[in-house]
Amino acid sequence: MLTVKNLTYTYPEEKTPAIRDVSFTVKRGEIVLVCGGTGSGKSTLLRLLKRELRPATGEIRGTVELEGCDDDLTAAARVGFVMQKPEQQIVTDKVWHELAFGLENLGVPSDEIRRRVAETAGWFGIEDWFERRVSELSGGQKQLLNLAAIMVMQPDILILDEPMSALDPIAATDFIDTLIRLNRETALTILVAEHRLDELMASADKLLLLDRGEAAFFGPVREGIGILADHPIMQNALPAPTKLSALLGEAPALTVREGRELLDNYDNKFRTPERETRLRSEQSALRLKGLCFRYQRESADILHDCELDVRCGEVFALLGGNGSGKSTLLSVIAGARRAYAGDVRVFGKKLRDYAPGELYDHTLALLPQDAQTLFLCNTVRAELKDAENVLPYDFGPLLDKHPYDLSGGEQQLLALAKTIATKPRLLLLDEPTQGLDAQARRYLADLMRSMCAGGMTILFVTHDPEFAVSVADRCALLFRGEVVSCDEPAPFFAGNRYYTTAAHRMSRGHYDGVVTVEEAAALARRNGRRV
Amino acid sequence: MRSFAEQNPAAVFFYFLAVLLPTMFSSNPVLGLLAMAGAALFYVLLTRRVGAILFSLLFIPVFILINILLSHNGVTVLFIVNDTPVTAESIAYGACNGLIIGAVFLWFAVFTRIMTSDRLLYVFGTLSPKAALLLSTALRYVPLFSKQAERIRNSQRAIGLYRDGNILTRIRSECRVFSVMITWTLENGIITADSMAARGYGILSRRTRFALYRFRGEDLSLLLVSAALAAGTLLWPDSYTYYPAMTLLLSPVGTLCYGLLAFLPSAVEITQRIRWKCLLSKI
Repeated sequence: MLTVKNLTYTYPEEKTPAIRDVSFTVKRGEIVLVCGGTGSGKSTLLRLLKRELRPATGEIRGTVELEGCDDDLTAAARVGFVMQKPEQQIVTDKVWHELAFGLENLGVPSDEIRRRVAETAGWFGIEDWFERRVSELSGGQKQLLNLAAIMVMQPDILILDEPMSALDPIAATDFIDTLIRLNRETALTILVAEHRLDELMASADKLLLLDRGEAAFFGPVREGIGILADHPIMQNALPAPTKLSALLGEAPALTVREGRELLDNYDNKFRTPERETRLRSEQSALRLKGLCFRYQRESADILHDCELDVRCGEVFALLGGNGSGKSTLLSVIAGARRAYAGDVRVFGKKLRDYAPGELYDHTLALLPQDAQTLFLCNTVRAELKDAENVLPYDFGPLLDKHPYDLSGGEQQLLALAKTIATKPRLLLLDEPTQGLDAQARRYLADLMRSMCAGGMTILFVTHDPEFAVSVADRCALLFRGEVVSCDEPAPFFAGNRYYTTAAHRMSRGHYDGVVTVEEAAALARRNGRRV
Repeated sequence: MRSFAEQNPAAVFFYFLAVLLPTMFSSNPVLGLLAMAGAALFYVLLTRRVGAILFSLLFIPVFILINILLSHNGVTVLFIVNDTPVTAESIAYGACNGLIIGAVFLWFAVFTRIMTSDRLLYVFGTLSPKAALLLSTALRYVPLFSKQAERIRNSQRAIGLYRDGNILTRIRSECRVFSVMITWTLENGIITADSMAARGYGILSRRTRFALYRFRGEDLSLLLVSAALAAGTLLWPDSYTYYPAMTLLLSPVGTLCYGLLAFLPSAVEITQRIRWKCLLSKI
């Protein structure tokens, strides 16, 4: 299907090649997972495989052979390409027009377009929003539309460059399910670069690991896991079951079921993990009482009788699904929106008693979900004007770049530096891990813990139980605008069966109250294998 | 059988041209009356409301008032105010113009209800596919742009950068948001361009054009009928004068043609409803 031989590419005015001597073959119907850290050349490699997106300058050596792609038109149709940002890939204003766009370009007659668009819309389940404006769709729907708009051209091979990084976990899971269904039902060949390996790893056939532009590994997924587990960057990205099997030195487990079977081989005399308890301050940093908010008088409550008490020096995670009101709550706390009932006390003082500007001076700051929206200058240097040394991160090499040119993780850090430049005592973070790879996630977690040790109180909202467990002192669940439960991470997640960490799903019933892979591995080691 | 609004937009657009052009550029009282009646009936059928009709009738007294102030021609002097005569002809001329303007207004009210942006875009697309695509991408960018600007404003506000009441700082921050939006748009334009290229845009010089609307026999008949009726109206015009004295000589063919034309949408609508009722009663 696709044969890449000794592919080397050097960007113009660079000495070292971005892609070096990469060779691999993909057979029809395979799913190939392309992984590697930030800057390992994933995007460059994938773009080299798509004729229309191949860089016009720079030096390309080696060959890329795609079966049956002789002229430009068939090449455009046969190779589908999905990019990272859902919103920006959409060209037209209506869903139906977007679906037809590619076929119009290929000069397909109108009646055939009608048939193919109808068929594709049916398969992807987008009949309900067929005549909608694209601006009314959710992020997940937008990315699904992008996928459908490419599949309508009937490609044989689909290339995806981090398609899920802008999606929330639920939309991401839906997207992966659709991909896998496409592969199973239509034998579509899929090449996907992604840093969220959890769901993909179990379904992929081959793994291509890129390290500084070189193919460090290409082969069946299970054979590659050992290499990933030793890789300094990729070991963080491994799915929880795989991490567990690696920690215990066992054969790789890819799914929760396999992880569970693996733990069943271990004894369970000691059932509860040892945990140090952190003391909680008596002073409250943020207190919400009977908070109610709605956008319009006629609309329904987004926040309804919301109560919360965050203590000083705590890292507090607020979890909840889409539309549970998490982001709205943060903007109400930050004073960007006003509740119609109830009150918000920040460090004991009511929000409306703060003088204008006083709230944002050494008191409170909000890091928005889309970090880009904080940047107003043309260089990182200018953005960091009053915030040079607030973070223990070396922005040195990035200072002269445009903020938009940084990677997702770097943008997040820059935004964070800008946010805490005002030295807030209470920091609010909106989905801080969205779009970050495992390494950046880990760095952020450490950073949050150290800022908290320095006396800052942090409240963040997230979709991601694993991240919440790794940093939070306490967690709360927001459901339909109301805080329905609030506890320390272990008891909080140990009570759940679905909305919990993979470690708990693997160890439930076998051990008690385990929520991280490390805890599970430590317990298993302490118990030893069954004889 | 489709309702009038569901016919092919190009045919519907042509119908609107056919019904509006003969009246718009004349002061023919008969055409004005027919146009107003046809529009009013169809408006009621579409919306079940009369608000816009009452509003459009307001044009009549307003135009009468304007005309008696400006024009003192005519042979039938009704009364004299401040040494200026008010004539019946001048009142009639004003009333008739008001009627026609009101009718045109009402037809446009119907037009905006039926010709949504999608349909208009389709009509323009038949004239120029390139312009239609350009317009479609532009329509896509407008909400994207305003949403992002709003997001940026909110983010800046939540770190306290946007708040100060001072109007100068406000203008300055608004300018900064605008400048960053330009960068953002260019940045996103690159992604959109890639996405277009990846889907084969620009390989063929002639793209095909897909539209939701088909052109069926019904649409062709609508097109032909409205063309024929409009031609009939224009070829056999009524003759009328206002000044110095009012005369009106009806042309039976022209009047009949325009009457049919003005009531065509209502006729389609009513037949369709009756048929639907019949179908329902058979079930």
